[in-house]
Amino acid sequence: MIVLGAFPLVFIVTAALTESSLGKPFKKFVGAENFEAVLRDSDVLQSIFRTVSYSFAVTAVSVVLGVLLACAVYEGARKGSVLRTLLLLPLIIPPVIVGTLWKLIYNPSGGLIATVLGYASIPAPQILSDGSLALAAVGVADIWQWTPLVFLLVYASLLGQDSSLNEAARLDGAHGWKLFVHITLPAIGGTIAAAAFIRLVIALKVFDLVFMMTSGGPGQSTTTTSYLIYQAAIKEFDVDRASAITLLLAVVVTVITVPIGLMIARIRRSEGSNA
Amino acid sequence: MKAIELSPQGEAPTRPRQFTEKPSFEEQKQNKPAQSHFWARGIIGISVVATFLPLAYLISVSLMGRDETVSGILWTLDPQFSNWSDVLFSSDIPRSIGNSLIAATFGALLSLAGGLPGAWAIVHYKTGGRALSALVTSPWLLPPVVAVIPLFILLRVLNLNDSLVGLTLIYALINLPIAVWLLEGFLHKIPSSIFDAAAVDGAGPWRTLVSIVTPLMLPALIAIGTIIAILNYNEFLLATFLTQSVESQTAPVALSLFYGDRTPHFGKIAAASVIVVIPVFAAATFLQRWMIDGLVNGVGK
Repeated sequence: MIVLGAFPLVFIVTAALTESSLGKPFKKFVGAENFEAVLRDSDVLQSIFRTVSYSFAVTAVSVVLGVLLACAVYEGARKGSVLRTLLLLPLIIPPVIVGTLWKLIYNPSGGLIATVLGYASIPAPQILSDGSLALAAVGVADIWQWTPLVFLLVYASLLGQDSSLNEAARLDGAHGWKLFVHITLPAIGGTIAAAAFIRLVIALKVFDLVFMMTSGGPGQSTTTTSYLIYQAAIKEFDVDRASAITLLLAVVVTVITVPIGLMIARIRRSEGSNA
Repeated sequence: MKAIELSPQGEAPTRPRQFTEKPSFEEQKQNKPAQSHFWARGIIGISVVATFLPLAYLISVSLMGRDETVSGILWTLDPQFSNWSDVLFSSDIPRSIGNSLIAATFGALLSLAGGLPGAWAIVHYKTGGRALSALVTSPWLLPPVVAVIPLFILLRVLNLNDSLVGLTLIYALINLPIAVWLLEGFLHKIPSSIFDAAAVDGAGPWRTLVSIVTPLMLPALIAIGTIIAILNYNEFLLATFLTQSVESQTAPVALSLFYGDRTPHFGKIAAASVIVVIPVFAAATFLQRWMIDGLVNGVGK
């Protein structure tokens, strides 16, 4: 099992250090040459920067919306499983279909947005072929798909919180916003942090949506690093470049996620000891 | 003083009329002021619309003819059920759905079969401590594109390239960490006294696993199996690279090829999308209670 798990890693490191193509891997050893080429490649660096900022943006929006919705359902809805099922629907839909769906919605000739704007005689925007809008448009689909996960986790944690604490605070005169900030938020903070972490990791991996909606374009405006690796490896058969980018991405992802992960673990442990 | 004002009895006379249809027992149980329901319902309403509208639009488009999809209408007056029948009877979609279901189900079963002993060893025998458990989950952090090329070469070596068997094995392998991680959350809940009793009765680790842990974990296994099967069913990147022929391609791959034409027929694309979603939707509806349990226990532990 460890052999199988380690194989990809060993392969990538070796491929990154050699001159390789899909047909003939490991032709000759070239050392760090591939890395230097990748680090000097502005396409690569920009795609990493794009992926990271995209991920933080969609994570922030998803977490805010997810927490808001979880609190709303907790406060205002009966334990309706129909409602819950409906709200969780996007989660189970294949990302390829989510991409297709939003591509239809954005479609400038006859799509949902174009049609609705057409009623108001506003010309249809070319959302996915506008370099400044395309990435945000992909982000909207991403948020639509994954916010329910944040909602679910936070909602579960709200249901599991100690209600006697809540009642005591109410008796002391806390309510509304004050109750949320001082009692609810600390109680579910660990879960929110964990949900944000999971959401961030999912966002860093975004591929299917880009593949279906924009194929990385227009220009390079939606080329996330996952997509760039795909291009290098599968379209250009440039396995050594792909491997070098992969390792660079792995380093970036690790640098971002490990400190956050450790921080969350510490928060949750201290919460556990307080309880 | 304030305490009396805020008690349910105290606020009842001032409660706005329109909220009285709420079941009063729930109000009392949760002990919350009725005013807060207003904003909460607004948010729920907006969310339901935002969630459902795109899906309703997909279904609507799936009934449109070729010209209608580009003519700027929201609902067709002449529903083209031929979109659906074309996809069902003269395309690769049904076959690819079958492929997806096979790879998803058997992949999930294999992940569970490998994950249960692993998770049990980590939880009960503390094998590897916290480090191993973190190490096992770490591959999940990286984008799957990372593993595409090595897995491709690996399958070629095993002569399982472009085959459903190969894809199933890959799915089993890549989801093993998730299986272990989610199973851990459930295993922590089983009181260890049960295992101690089994040990006193002379049951070895293997017998304890088979005859005590597995039956106790059955609901969890269903939950986690469902989640992993859905992940497998929805997976696209590995499938598109590892299965290219019609005989082995999965539903997301077949669907992505629908854009191949010069002028894509959006109605058919939408119909195919809806058809591909139906199996996941059915599974999720049927198993949702367990599935949600699995997510919450595994991730939110």
